[in-house]
Amino acid sequence: MRDRLTIGIAGTGGDGVVVLGSLLQRLAASQGYFGQMPRYYGPQIRGGSSAVKLSLDTTRASLPTDTVDIMVCFNWEKYAELKQELPPGTDSIVFYEDAPPEGSLDLPRQSFQVGFSEISKEMTGTASAKNIVVLGLLERILALPENLSESAASHDHALALLEKNGVALHAGKHLLPEFPFDELRLSPPKDATARTVLHGNSAAAQGAIRAGCRTFFSYPITPASEIMEEMQERLNHANGVFLQAEDEIAAIGLALGASLTGAKSMTATTGPGLDLMTEMIGLASGAEIPVVIVDVQRCGPATGIPSKSEQADLNHAIYGGHGDAPRVVLAAYSVKGCYRLVVESFNISEYYQTPVILLTDQRLGQATVATNSDFLTKDYSLARRKRPGGEHQEQYRRYEPTEDYISPMASAGDEGLTYQATGLAHNDKGRPSFDFATNQRMHEKRWRKLAPLRDRDDLVKLFGREEVRKGIVAFGSTAQFVLETVEDLGLEDEVKVCVPELIHPLPHRLASFVGSLDTLLVVEMSYSAQLHHYLRSQIDLPSHTASYARAGGSAFSREELSGPITELAR
Amino acid sequence: MTKESDYRTDVAPVWCPGCGGFGLLSALTKAALPNLGIPAHRTLIVSGIGCSSRIPAYIDTYGFNSLHGRAVLFSQGAKLANPELTVVTIGGDGDFFSIGAGHLPHAVRRNLNVTCIMVNNFVYALTKGQTSPTTPYLQRGEGPFLSLQNLPPVDPVLDMVSYSVSTGASFIAQGIATDVPHLTRLIEEAIKHKGFSFINVLTPCVTFDPPWLFKTIKEKASYLKEGEPVGLPDSSKEQPWLHDPGNITLALKLAQTPVMEKPHIGIIFRGRTA
Repeated sequence: MRDRLTIGIAGTGGDGVVVLGSLLQRLAASQGYFGQMPRYYGPQIRGGSSAVKLSLDTTRASLPTDTVDIMVCFNWEKYAELKQELPPGTDSIVFYEDAPPEGSLDLPRQSFQVGFSEISKEMTGTASAKNIVVLGLLERILALPENLSESAASHDHALALLEKNGVALHAGKHLLPEFPFDELRLSPPKDATARTVLHGNSAAAQGAIRAGCRTFFSYPITPASEIMEEMQERLNHANGVFLQAEDEIAAIGLALGASLTGAKSMTATTGPGLDLMTEMIGLASGAEIPVVIVDVQRCGPATGIPSKSEQADLNHAIYGGHGDAPRVVLAAYSVKGCYRLVVESFNISEYYQTPVILLTDQRLGQATVATNSDFLTKDYSLARRKRPGGEHQEQYRRYEPTEDYISPMASAGDEGLTYQATGLAHNDKGRPSFDFATNQRMHEKRWRKLAPLRDRDDLVKLFGREEVRKGIVAFGSTAQFVLETVEDLGLEDEVKVCVPELIHPLPHRLASFVGSLDTLLVVEMSYSAQLHHYLRSQIDLPSHTASYARAGGSAFSREELSGPITELAR
Repeated sequence: MTKESDYRTDVAPVWCPGCGGFGLLSALTKAALPNLGIPAHRTLIVSGIGCSSRIPAYIDTYGFNSLHGRAVLFSQGAKLANPELTVVTIGGDGDFFSIGAGHLPHAVRRNLNVTCIMVNNFVYALTKGQTSPTTPYLQRGEGPFLSLQNLPPVDPVLDMVSYSVSTGASFIAQGIATDVPHLTRLIEEAIKHKGFSFINVLTPCVTFDPPWLFKTIKEKASYLKEGEPVGLPDSSKEQPWLHDPGNITLALKLAQTPVMEKPHIGIIFRGRTA
């Protein structure tokens, strides 16, 4: 019996790899199992290699392990392209259709050749249900309840496919007369509450709806498109405004236009799109217009690797654009964070009248996670824009000086409060002004209004014992790998971890964490170590500071991170 | 009735004396907006970057002087979020037709109820005289355009009509900044039109256009009247046809008339409403 298992599935686009993984994850989630399922696909996006790695866990949504316990391979040639993500362990159990090319791979001891396609053809007349045959086999290995598929399908429309494929499923359950897999049965989950299954992109879209976003504009781009697709669906039901723009410049321009009327407005993209939005971000900063931009980071520069994670948009998010254009940068590190931090992004953007860039990454955005649904239903406070009151009629000044540097913002359409704004340097009324003193004062206004954010301790997550003097800083999906590696190594008492969700302006709590250390390790997926350099530019780092930084293209593994983390703990 | 004073701010325009921008400002604040009786707070004027794009600061409605080429994006976003707003987009020929040209066909096909006014002065004036997409072809030595060095190609006068063939732009007109009463009527019709409307305003740049350019346009200008024969260039061998703004084929013929030979002033095409 196992409390935790990792299953790898690989094949070509069309083998039903993702469908198989998703069905198994959903079936297990309906019984109370947690888990994560990152997707791996080749650069061509459709028709290429396709793989998933699914963790099933009785207690929490842990990451899949480095090596898989069970592997299903439909196509060895495609597997070879994704081998780095799915290395078999010596104890892995492998099921495969065709023998691997001579000399290409040493199969583990327990490897089984099974004609999934043939069985599917025999039972259904077509090979296309071969993934369902495998599902039946896996259900039996994991010892999931006998009639699970039938009962779960009636509750979850995503499982409806199974109702039509009962024959294939049944055949899969009765494969292999000799069945030496007892050891791989899953322990019952800690509690049998059904888990919700979603990926970070879906969580971000749902968070936007929750925050009250009813105007959304975007342009399709991997790996952010799911946010757009889900917003299209949800805003259609919510009677909101959705528009697929002609490019990313248009997407953010439309969003800013909507924001001028008081609407909570958002766009979502990845690196190349963020590049195009840069001039608009400067305008939003200078003219103080709220807007939320989600950047699901992928490998850069240029087109890079569209389907793989990286964390190298950080510099661009913080500094991108000409002139001094302050903005707020947040970063989610879990699927729940994708939801909560979109709500938070709107709160900050609306309250401080500033663009907010929420960084996630391909890993967070596209890995489906089975987890508790409490975050979807709990209360979130929603901040509002500071609006002009009755005393502003006649004498309304859009950028009037205030104690907190935040000026009341009228919405286009409000009676008696007309104003004219501009991307030019401007005065209190928003009129063009090229006077030095006014320009200096407006810079102060835009920068100083964000200062209170540095006290947002709740946006900096700390793990481990406070008195420890060795620590790690990591953000985004990398933080999950760091936290689990520290735990796997049993170093929770010797190393503490800081995961900033607010990156810029730099929160005091992050500064004090770093200040409390003798030895610091910064872990990130950026060749040039952007986070490390950002921290170095803002605060004093311990003289013993190490950086573990590399390009994206392959997920971090525990094995990889145990090197630098063990070194830190030594 | 709302008065003109309700629509002008106390900001003095930066334009040169004699600039065509004054004609447009008058048409909007002294006539079109008061005549239509649209309350200032229900009006949003968005501009890009250029001489004419300074206009929002002079009109006391909601106004936004945005980025070069991008004004029409803010207009559409605002209109979608608050359909009660009357949204007018103002920019120059470089703004609409060069840097922002990629956005135009999409604004056209969406056919949102926004009005675009292109202040076409045939030159990049704010940056002091470079060629724009509407700069007419000139021979060396013919005038002060910096463009003389490069001899730019002729651009069709109204690409918008060509767009409309494929995308269904629903209202296209051409006005002249020196005839404010007529321009006023065009703006009123454009704003009243339920759908995307575009007015190309032929505008003198007193500083960077050669003086003969606008003189020629004024002399040769021909007003379009529905049901009456259209004016044709002297070189044309065609029989003048009766103007029918509902006929896209005839509209295209009008649009393809070189502006220096026969500028058509009036509503060129009026099609489907949103």
